[in-house]
Amino acid sequence: MIPEEIKQEIRAIVGPENVLDSELNRFGYSYDASFVPLLPASKPNLVVRPLTTEEVSRVMAIACEHEIPVTPRGAASGRTGGSIPLQGGISLALDRMTRIIELDERNMMVTAEAGVRTIDLYNHCAERGLFYPPDPASWKFSTIGGNVAENAGGMRAVKYGVTKNYVMGLEVVLADGAILRTGGKAIKNVTGYDLTSLFTGSEGTLGVITRALFRLIPMPKRRGTLQAMFRTLDDGCRTIHTVLQSGVVPAAAEIMDRTCLEVVARHRKTELDPEVGACIIIEIDGDDDAALETQTKRIEAAAKACGAVAFRAARSQQEAEELWALRRGLSSAVAALAPNRVGEDISVPRDAFPEVVRRIGEISEKHGLPIAVYGHAGDGNIHPSILYDLGKPGEAERVHRAVDDIFAAALAVGGTLSGEHGIGITKRPYIANALGDVGVRTLKAVKAALDPKGILNPGKIW
Amino acid sequence: MVSRCDRCGACLPVCPLFGVKGVEATGARGKNTIARALADGGIEPTRELLDVVNFCLLCRACVDTCPARVPTDEAMVDVRQHLTDLAGGADGKYRIIGGVLKRPGVVKAAAAALSILRRSGLNGLFPHGMAPEEYTRTHFLAAFAGPAALGQKAPPSAVTVTDKTKVACFRGCGMEMMFPEAAAQTRDILKTTTSLLVKQNVCCGLPHLAHGLREEFLALARENVRLFEDVEVVVSDCASCGATLKHLSSFFADDPAWRDRSAAFSGKVMDLTEYLAKVGYLTRQRVDALFTYHDPCHLVRGQGITQPPRELLKAAGRFVEMKEADVCCGGAGSFHIDYPDAAAQILEKKRRNIEKTGAAVVVTGCPGCLIQLAKAAKASGGKFKAMHISQVI
Repeated sequence: MIPEEIKQEIRAIVGPENVLDSELNRFGYSYDASFVPLLPASKPNLVVRPLTTEEVSRVMAIACEHEIPVTPRGAASGRTGGSIPLQGGISLALDRMTRIIELDERNMMVTAEAGVRTIDLYNHCAERGLFYPPDPASWKFSTIGGNVAENAGGMRAVKYGVTKNYVMGLEVVLADGAILRTGGKAIKNVTGYDLTSLFTGSEGTLGVITRALFRLIPMPKRRGTLQAMFRTLDDGCRTIHTVLQSGVVPAAAEIMDRTCLEVVARHRKTELDPEVGACIIIEIDGDDDAALETQTKRIEAAAKACGAVAFRAARSQQEAEELWALRRGLSSAVAALAPNRVGEDISVPRDAFPEVVRRIGEISEKHGLPIAVYGHAGDGNIHPSILYDLGKPGEAERVHRAVDDIFAAALAVGGTLSGEHGIGITKRPYIANALGDVGVRTLKAVKAALDPKGILNPGKIW
Repeated sequence: MVSRCDRCGACLPVCPLFGVKGVEATGARGKNTIARALADGGIEPTRELLDVVNFCLLCRACVDTCPARVPTDEAMVDVRQHLTDLAGGADGKYRIIGGVLKRPGVVKAAAAALSILRRSGLNGLFPHGMAPEEYTRTHFLAAFAGPAALGQKAPPSAVTVTDKTKVACFRGCGMEMMFPEAAAQTRDILKTTTSLLVKQNVCCGLPHLAHGLREEFLALARENVRLFEDVEVVVSDCASCGATLKHLSSFFADDPAWRDRSAAFSGKVMDLTEYLAKVGYLTRQRVDALFTYHDPCHLVRGQGITQPPRELLKAAGRFVEMKEADVCCGGAGSFHIDYPDAAAQILEKKRRNIEKTGAAVVVTGCPGCLIQLAKAAKASGGKFKAMHISQVI
């Protein structure tokens, strides 16, 4: 579909070794970490791996001239199909752009290229005592450009917010190849529309994010990890709710149900207490040990009052890291439990969290489908995973109805479709329910203004 | 098994090949997904596919980090076998290597030829370091057994093994062909702990298994099981042989005639360091040398052995841990011959990590790694030597 002479032009820009068009290389850029079926594959016609913003700009200019679809891609670790090149064209892989350009300690800000891995950015800042808090479960392999484009969340959102709370400015290559720079290091900045926020979470549909400026905060001096076991999910939810109401804000507050705990137990080759039906893991931080102790006591009291059957603080850094590593790997580990899995990402006001978890339990029973539940109880973002087997007759229809019910439940309690994964392909059919006609029309108007030819990541969001 | 992969990408930062190439199909997730698409009929078995599945170190770094424990290495071996079956036979090159390794006499002849090459200095003419320089125990003691070493002479071994324990060693092709001096040291060490039985075993079969010669692998496996039926412990000084032999039973799960026999055999296999830790071996000397250790993939991930070799090195001299000690060196059987550029890039990282420790000797327990590490030692311009663990303990 892309004529040879255009390929040649692109090869001349980024170097021939960074333009891939063999069958398997194209296949390699046809999927991400979503449950969008692998086959039939949405293969790009061409994979282009630029190194600089200038190269991105020149490639976009060519794509615009010839109306070739372009789908930006970081590590393809997204959960909703955002980097899948639905209409072919160019898969624009930004993973070679891995420079951390500047760590400005005086202003506590860092500038990085799109392909920097989230954890590398975190570590780079941490070495200087500075903290970049957003930590999506994929932070060891996801890229920062992808994090901005999806406005990724993470465990620490309850206390520190999500990616957008740290983005101060962006460098974006627009659909026609023009290079836009938004925001800056001034903390107060109301000059013009807030374009930084517009591109943050735009899922590659409005421009190609090539560089981002983030604000940082001082690194907490002490961290601790607490774990409590409960008979029911409801007890766990109530504990976190009580803790937050009492004025203690943990850095992270995660919950997981019995199914998740069984996965963890299998992983560690341990037996799970039959009495236990839910677990919460909490990260606390502060200036000194006394601050941690105060929080620990209050959280322990809340857990006991809500019927905790066990409570413990991680004794070592290693134990804490193991707990969080298990939590981060939970999505993939749960996925391996059944032939098929749909993992959702609904987000509700945090006081509605216990209620929506109860409703998900009812949906599971109603449709006869196991639904594993884990999520960021502290911020109201929950990941129900429907486990099923497409080989069973009528299964697809049951799953479809269960997903409908889950979204309906989220909206009914004042929540929304996606907390941190984005809409992409997988939640597209539901967006009008969430935003209404006017909402969707407004999104389309923005898209038409910035990408009139519709070449940027076509087929996404609505 | 590949369908358990949910394509999250956790394997990407740990895959050494993705680390040097960065292209999806070179990483574990890409290969797995391609294997899955092949199984589901989405892609064709082409030459390009064979290249993709051959471009894998089988190092298991991905398996270790995968939340769903997807065995990408096994999937690659299976796809290679499948493609071989489709093509009606293995690639000629692998068939020749496999043929050589099947016959112990030829292995010996090759070892003799290498020895002549080394003495004549002609080994430098061979490509891929396939005629590696061997830094021997004699060289090592001459270099490090100075006054400091004499002052701290290790006490004689106090190991006693009961008469009932019949211990044999497994003589791996790589060790016998490439590093005969180290293989002889292994036997000497074992003889201080037991009245060692030495058998004329055949190849463990891993090179055959890895390249689509599964029937040959199974035939070799049966021969080895038969051969060691009258012993209680089989000690291997090669990480790859050891890992392969320990896993034999999984290949006979559906074969009632061999299932139990192979399982009994696998249960007897021990790595040299594992055995020495078990019998409380005391090193023959303690020298004033700084060691660092490279974990062979087939020892750290293949057998879960990390501490025994380190403890032995701490007893034999001073020890320093290197960064990323358990990352593959790029050797991986014949991988470094098939893909010299990628292997060299991986080895370059390893060399830098070794040099940063300031160690005089990098020690490992696998001839495949030793070939690579000897190349790295040469590239370092004499900053360090590469040795098998049996040469220094």
